[in-house]
Amino acid sequence: MFEKILTRARMRSPWMLHFDCGSCNGCDIEVLACLTPVYDVERFGVVNTGNPMHADILLVTGTVNHRNRNVLRNLYDQMPGPKVVVAIGACGLTGGIFRQAWNVVGGVDRVIPVDVYVPGCPAKPEAIIDGVVMGLEKFMEKQHVDIS
Amino acid sequence: MFTMTSTILRNLLKEPATRRYPASVRPSFEAARGEIRNDIHVCTFCGVCAVKCPSQCITVDRKAADWSYDPSACVQCGVCAEVCTSGSLQQARDYRKPVRKKELVVLKGATTPPKHSDPPVTG
Amino acid sequence: MTRTIIPFGPQHPVLPEPIHLMLTLDDEVITEAVPAFGFVHRGLEKLVEIRDFHQMIYVVERICGICSMLHAMCYCQGIEEMMGIETPPRARFLRVIWSELHRMHSHLLWLGLFADSFGFESLFMQFWKIREKILDIDEATTGNRIIVSVNVIGGVRKDLTLEQTRGILSELKSVETELKRLETTILNDYTVQNRTVGKGVLTAKQAYELGLVGPTLRASGVMQDARMLKYAAFDDIAFTPVVETDGDCYARCKVRFREVFQSIDLIRQAIGKLPNGEIAVKVKGRPDGEVTSRVEQPRGEVFYYIRANGTKHLERLRVRTPTFANVPALLTMLPGAGLSDVPVIVLSIDPCISCTER
Repeated sequence: MFEKILTRARMRSPWMLHFDCGSCNGCDIEVLACLTPVYDVERFGVVNTGNPMHADILLVTGTVNHRNRNVLRNLYDQMPGPKVVVAIGACGLTGGIFRQAWNVVGGVDRVIPVDVYVPGCPAKPEAIIDGVVMGLEKFMEKQHVDIS
Repeated sequence: MFTMTSTILRNLLKEPATRRYPASVRPSFEAARGEIRNDIHVCTFCGVCAVKCPSQCITVDRKAADWSYDPSACVQCGVCAEVCTSGSLQQARDYRKPVRKKELVVLKGATTPPKHSDPPVTG
Repeated sequence: MTRTIIPFGPQHPVLPEPIHLMLTLDDEVITEAVPAFGFVHRGLEKLVEIRDFHQMIYVVERICGICSMLHAMCYCQGIEEMMGIETPPRARFLRVIWSELHRMHSHLLWLGLFADSFGFESLFMQFWKIREKILDIDEATTGNRIIVSVNVIGGVRKDLTLEQTRGILSELKSVETELKRLETTILNDYTVQNRTVGKGVLTAKQAYELGLVGPTLRASGVMQDARMLKYAAFDDIAFTPVVETDGDCYARCKVRFREVFQSIDLIRQAIGKLPNGEIAVKVKGRPDGEVTSRVEQPRGEVFYYIRANGTKHLERLRVRTPTFANVPALLTMLPGAGLSDVPVIVLSIDPCISCTER
């Protein structure tokens, strides 16, 4: 019973952590734009937090490179489960236009498991909101697996 | 002191600036660059799009009449639609929806491509 | 006396970008700051070997999302100079319009983030609300909110209709009135003055000797702006750089705030003088030789070095971005400052890490 209420509560107010994993700022400022008055995801209870230990959803933008892949791995490991990873932008999905450059690992899913992919260069705020909502559905599924 | 008060009061009295996104969707602008769509029945498999694509995410197999593109690597610059010789490539206004799995878009045309007289492809 | 070393970043709530600073503290006062880079390095200059010189426009545009239009413009101007292409006058005016719109959206973004860095969150929200209007203009005229992709070698890809120019002018009017209302808040508010006046002071001599560029340099009283080189259509447009003399965080804020109004004025002039005609010329041949190109970005002057060898792939591309020039200022300003002032001082140079590391 208590577990159920907790799940509900977490669903209603997902806290997100945003990490720039080497992107061009395009997707980052669109993630930030989601938090500002015009898109205002806070009306869904979404809070942007700076602490990975408080976060439910990890939003990753950008091509992963050989230096920050460890930071990304570290942040992912610090998040409490169940957790959802949303990769944003062409760079976060495959490396985008840079995927043949020498310092690009190419895609967040080469380092950590990704649940939702948001395409676009840069992804529009509407697409990011869609992605977070889709991530929440996944979050619910994961929670059920954890309880049973 | 109290320099922000007039702005706050004005914001309180005005209608909210928020676009209530999932409840009311704002139509895309006419010029908006969204996802790429190919009308495979018109496509001549000339391969100009594959050569010109800055992200190199389009592959064209002329013999097998295959046109495939990787939507997750596409940067939506619109160059392919601009250079398309047959007019089969179009850039839609809508953005591509988020997905749970990355997939290639593979389109198969008629196996005997129509004859065409394109200029030789040069980079 | 105890010495503490505090890591700042790479994932920090104030900065959306990964910069890493090792701060050595003596009690509450910083004695040394050592930056570490490489979290955003992609190695895109080497992509010239596999992408041809037309495709590189879209690659250099994605060096940085905030000043993308100006990167592409600088690159295209360099290649045009190398190939001896005369761009049509209409294209040059259109480039000015879009580049100034880009400067406005970058400065508004910075003003918001700056307000956020000392905890004035409602001001942050106000600036970002105004910024959405600029992004709407961008999307309506070019098709994308941030990465506009309008530059091609020999001109621009999109044209503005008469209706669109009228739309831009009316939107700019509403942006101007809304910004005027915020002027007393950002410039005269007690909180803002308390956190910015006298923080991170650079004298004109120091700023000049460190080789700073852009608003960081102009806030110290040195009048230098790459737009004085009269690239694009700036030779037909009246322009005087915005200069402040105090050299502290407040002066940098003032310069950027005044530059937003200057950009509005420049766009009005450019739309007023917009000539009719072609927007692009056909490009034939391949670039050969070497060239340097300079453009004033929102953060300062960007410098491109391009060397070509007559094939479709360039031989070398080197980009020197404004933040690269401004980081030494950070290392001069931080020692002696308190730990609580670090976010304000770091943001006052408007760091763009993805530009710096490419």
